[in-house]
Amino acid sequence: MIDNKKTINEPLTLSSVSPLVDEDTLSRRKFMKMAGASLAVLSFPMASAFAVQAKGKSTFNSKTKPKIIWVVLRGALDSLHTIVPTFDTQYAKLRPKLSTSFNSPLLPLEKGFALHPSLRNLHHWYQDKSLLPIVAVSSGYAKRSHFDGQDFLESGKGEIDHDSGWLARAIEVKSKSALAIARSTPISLRSSLVRSEQVNTWYPSKFKSADEDIYAALNELYKNDAALKENLTSALKVKGLVAENAEGNKIQKGKFVDLAKSCAKLITAEQGVDCAMLELGGWDTHNNQSNRLSRKLTELDTGLAELKAGLGDEWQNTVVIIGTEFGRTAKENGTGGTDHGTASALFLAGGAVNGGKVKGRWPGLKPDELFQQRDLMPTSNSFGWMASVLSQHWQFSEQELQQVFPQVKSYSDSLIHS
Amino acid sequence: MSEDSMSSTVISLENIAVNRFGYGARGDELTHAKAAPKKWLSAQLQVINFTDEQPTSADVFVAHAKFQKQKKLMKQQKKQTLSSQDKEKSKMMKGAARKTYIKMSAASLKQAITSEHSVSWRLLDFFSNHFSVSTAGRLMVGLSPTLEREAIAPNLLGNFADMLLAVEQHPAMLIYLNNEKSFGPNSRMAKKRKVGLNENLAREIMELHTLGVDGGYSQSDVIELAKGITGWSVKRPKKEHGSGFVFRAYAHEPGSRELLGKKYAQHGIKQGQQMLRDLAMHPNTATYICNKIAHHFVSENPPQSLITKMQNTWLNNQGNLKKVMLTLFDAEESWIAQPQKFKTPREFVISTYRAIAPKNINSRALFNSLNNLGQMPFNAGSPAGFSDDESDWLGASALMARVEWSSLVSGQKKSINAKRIMATALGNSISQNTYQMVMRAESRQQASTLLLMSPEFQRR
Repeated sequence: MIDNKKTINEPLTLSSVSPLVDEDTLSRRKFMKMAGASLAVLSFPMASAFAVQAKGKSTFNSKTKPKIIWVVLRGALDSLHTIVPTFDTQYAKLRPKLSTSFNSPLLPLEKGFALHPSLRNLHHWYQDKSLLPIVAVSSGYAKRSHFDGQDFLESGKGEIDHDSGWLARAIEVKSKSALAIARSTPISLRSSLVRSEQVNTWYPSKFKSADEDIYAALNELYKNDAALKENLTSALKVKGLVAENAEGNKIQKGKFVDLAKSCAKLITAEQGVDCAMLELGGWDTHNNQSNRLSRKLTELDTGLAELKAGLGDEWQNTVVIIGTEFGRTAKENGTGGTDHGTASALFLAGGAVNGGKVKGRWPGLKPDELFQQRDLMPTSNSFGWMASVLSQHWQFSEQELQQVFPQVKSYSDSLIHS
Repeated sequence: MSEDSMSSTVISLENIAVNRFGYGARGDELTHAKAAPKKWLSAQLQVINFTDEQPTSADVFVAHAKFQKQKKLMKQQKKQTLSSQDKEKSKMMKGAARKTYIKMSAASLKQAITSEHSVSWRLLDFFSNHFSVSTAGRLMVGLSPTLEREAIAPNLLGNFADMLLAVEQHPAMLIYLNNEKSFGPNSRMAKKRKVGLNENLAREIMELHTLGVDGGYSQSDVIELAKGITGWSVKRPKKEHGSGFVFRAYAHEPGSRELLGKKYAQHGIKQGQQMLRDLAMHPNTATYICNKIAHHFVSENPPQSLITKMQNTWLNNQGNLKKVMLTLFDAEESWIAQPQKFKTPREFVISTYRAIAPKNINSRALFNSLNNLGQMPFNAGSPAGFSDDESDWLGASALMARVEWSSLVSGQKKSINAKRIMATALGNSISQNTYQMVMRAESRQQASTLLLMSPEFQRR
């Protein structure tokens, strides 16, 4: 069937309180004045881009709000090369080349696990008890397709739903706000029930800004196209907030470390967002894994360190959840890499995290202990851990959690400082 | 206002023919298509000849071998002092691959912009994205743009099986998905050295290139196909004569295979080839690719009746792509009078330049445009290619970048005539609101920016 509802003549239904959104009938002249004024305010770094969601609430101070940052590693991180089970005698047998390929000493964790040497900052956090690695987790997706696996992870429903993401449902329940560091809204933050002003996207632009008059005209031009109008409104809210940073108008290249910096900046704005999402690809290491993971893990580690630095005191209220769609084969393949597998790892990081230990039951690496005799066996569900974060960090009740992760129950382990 | 919104959603038949199926109207295409839109469309399907004399994959291998030789030389000389000339030479070679890649990507874009058969270019780009390769590593930077030229374009209007075989035996795909070093566990090579299977290409062939992720294959099918195509490799120019695809018998897994319940007793290269031919004609492949074509050209929710028509054509005509496309053009479901799709950045940039028709387009700027709008050529970064969904392209930040780009392009051309561009690109299919906004704009630049950013131009 053709979805004729999706045509551009849908009536506007924005139930917004923002002056930028509900002015369907506003004269062009008046709008221009208003947009101009808003933009001027926005270009001041500490100005509010998100006044909308704060309106009507007693507190305007974001500084004490618990934050969540969701980092998706696309391409399936090989957890066995990242959190190495040094105690497991099978490890070297399964991976004769990879297990001897580390070019500096591994960074020790408890129970005989050790971090990849590139994760220096993360290891410091572990020692400060603000990093919690969880081994042998899976979203429950077991078919080894990256793209379905990622969609499944972002949906969080136990099935793939391209129009409903777990983080969007979470902010819907608690009326919170979110920002995706992306050009368009990723699945994690999609939901038909979330108000458009609750979710924003931002990505560095390399073009020179257009004349401000044009935005007023566009608002009029889009009066019969709800989707275009909504995105325009949303963009105008964030515009200017990140563009002029301390280094002046330096062009940003979209590198993870720069995105992480900007992400911190947007979160810590006076009425910043409650949660944000970052993405980092490049984990599909079918060959030359040792060198490639050294580079990628350094990039991740440095980016997260920038995020922490940018968050400043906010780090104490922050939980960063770092996940990937699935893991990789326990055995190395014929080309110095690993193929698509099942269980991988989940990291929780941040000042709010009760870290300094390794969670998750180790399933072992003997042939019969592996999933289908080839992959690390999952012993817990990623969504269960994410549910625990929502419960302990954002005070979700069991009933509220059902709206976010209908398939799982949260774990009772203490993950967050109370 | 309701009257206005009504008129804004109805597109003329010639507009559908030119803008929904092609890369957007250029010159007087709308006038030409008006008399007989379907006939105009059928005539659009023409073999694409690359006339731009860009490097071939063989050239890329030669250049790469030279680069590696130079690199080695530099390493050896590191202890001695290098002359500035040597340094310069090395620097030049380092950047050469990227320069070539940008030139080649831009050359394809320019041909699509000036082509009189832009529907064929849409089809080429569809399959180039279907068989997506990305520029990871120096060799892939050079190789990526050669796949569509050498394996896809020559088979564009032929049978899908031939395109599939050409793609899976092309060095760009073999290297991108790591099959060139995949060895059968019982191959002669594996008995001598510690080498083994890599199942990456085999999985993506079934998941992305043929059956689709729900196409009914299992993990053991992945391994069987991976074994079937062991030995499909690429010559090493330094050690072997020539370059390109090579079948290495010593790497091939001996014995017969079983894929999707069918036994393959062939030996050598024929085994994998037969597997691919059967996959190409599998009903699930027909469904998957016909659905993807309809999704790309017509609507994100193509009617089942349309898919059925195309699928029947596929199965009754050896997967002949020209016939499948003619079926698509002929189906009434393809001619829904409301816009169904939001243009991708590539479609947006090409259709803009087709409408404006500037005398010169700077290659570098053209390439950068796509890069900055989020669709850098051969950089989907995943074998699934770029998304074909509105939700992945219509975002706040993405929209802002389009506004900025439109403003930039509109400001670059002196005395740009928005009214003429509007007539060229959209004909009469324009709402009163958009028409008035464009005509009332305060400057030529603003008028053109508004036109390019109008719902009518952004959607098709």
